[in-house]
Amino acid sequence: MIAVLGLIVGVVVGLFVRPEVPAVVEPYLPIAVVAALDAVFGGLRAMLDGIFVDKVFVVSFLSNVVVAALIVFLGDKLGVGAQLSTGVVVVLGIRIFSNAAAIRRHVFRA
Amino acid sequence: MSDDDTPQNENAQNENARNGTPQNEVPANGTPTSGETPVGEKQELTGRQRLAAGLWPPRVSRAQLIVAVLLFVLGLGLAIQVRSTSDNSALRGARQEDLVRILDELDDRTQRLEDEKTRLGTQRSELETSSDQAEEARKQTQEKERQLGILAGTVAAEGPGITLTISDGAGAVESDMLLDAIQELRAAGAEAIQVNDVRVVADSYFSGGDGSIEIDGTKVAAPYVFKVIGKPEDLEPALNIPGGVVQTLEKEQATASVARSQKIVVDALRPAKRPDYAQSSSQ
Repeated sequence: MIAVLGLIVGVVVGLFVRPEVPAVVEPYLPIAVVAALDAVFGGLRAMLDGIFVDKVFVVSFLSNVVVAALIVFLGDKLGVGAQLSTGVVVVLGIRIFSNAAAIRRHVFRA
Repeated sequence: MSDDDTPQNENAQNENARNGTPQNEVPANGTPTSGETPVGEKQELTGRQRLAAGLWPPRVSRAQLIVAVLLFVLGLGLAIQVRSTSDNSALRGARQEDLVRILDELDDRTQRLEDEKTRLGTQRSELETSSDQAEEARKQTQEKERQLGILAGTVAAEGPGITLTISDGAGAVESDMLLDAIQELRAAGAEAIQVNDVRVVADSYFSGGDGSIEIDGTKVAAPYVFKVIGKPEDLEPALNIPGGVVQTLEKEQATASVARSQKIVVDALRPAKRPDYAQSSSQ
């Protein structure tokens, strides 16, 4: 419950406070958000499976974000930033979909 | 708590029923298996129940707090990204290489527009110059038209000159005498001549005689007033020389008087006539 509240508060704060994002972070923010979404879906699935461990969640969340940002950064340096970020988004999207399917099976039993 | 526990207990009951062991027997038995039963119950929880358990009684645990913090960060990033994407500025989320491309395009465009501006500026100055020239040509043409109009008698003229008045008491003045006067005046440099109300120009003619003289078909009667524009110092002596116009007229019982003036107005006009046959051979 508190976790859901945290998400809601984060969205509200982001919408109303309009924090300034440093220009260095700005290009990686969308990819980082998608990676974090992947981690959250993975965590939700683990929770429904009963194998949720907070330490694993924290590590996977942070490492997802960092690795995604790193890949995009590397892609930018190599001149294939657009393609690499597309690839990252595709992979993360597939993972999110498979996690969502597992969650769906738990929640709707279908 | 109790709301949450109910399904769990029901589930436990179901599980126990399936196992063939009533739930209330478990604590009562106190058998070693009873210690494992709760563990088995927890593992057998469905995902839905785990979700409900996690959602409803709000528990402040380390896991919940950590997840809350991370989800807060996620929500923040999500909101910022959504806001910046919908910020109507397409440049905000653009990548560096896109920005470089956009900048290049803008530079090209600026260059093109600068070129066009230069070209248009040149064209404008050319047009201004040519319109100045056209204005100059028009002025010259107008000036020339005015000069030619004075010669042709189509415009009024004024300037220094003389007034020659011939009064003919005896009716002795004839057209050839007036013509002589005109010739004499022209020879002395007269530029515009008017007799009574008739402008005298290159193709003027005199006809009739004995008190009914016509110039260009218009009857003129005594006294004959010549308004002449020219240099007065030349015109007056030309008329007064011995044996000249004045003396000849006086011999014929007419009186002629010449008066100088700094301002003679020749305002009798002739209509401009387009020649029927003669055409300009220049161009």
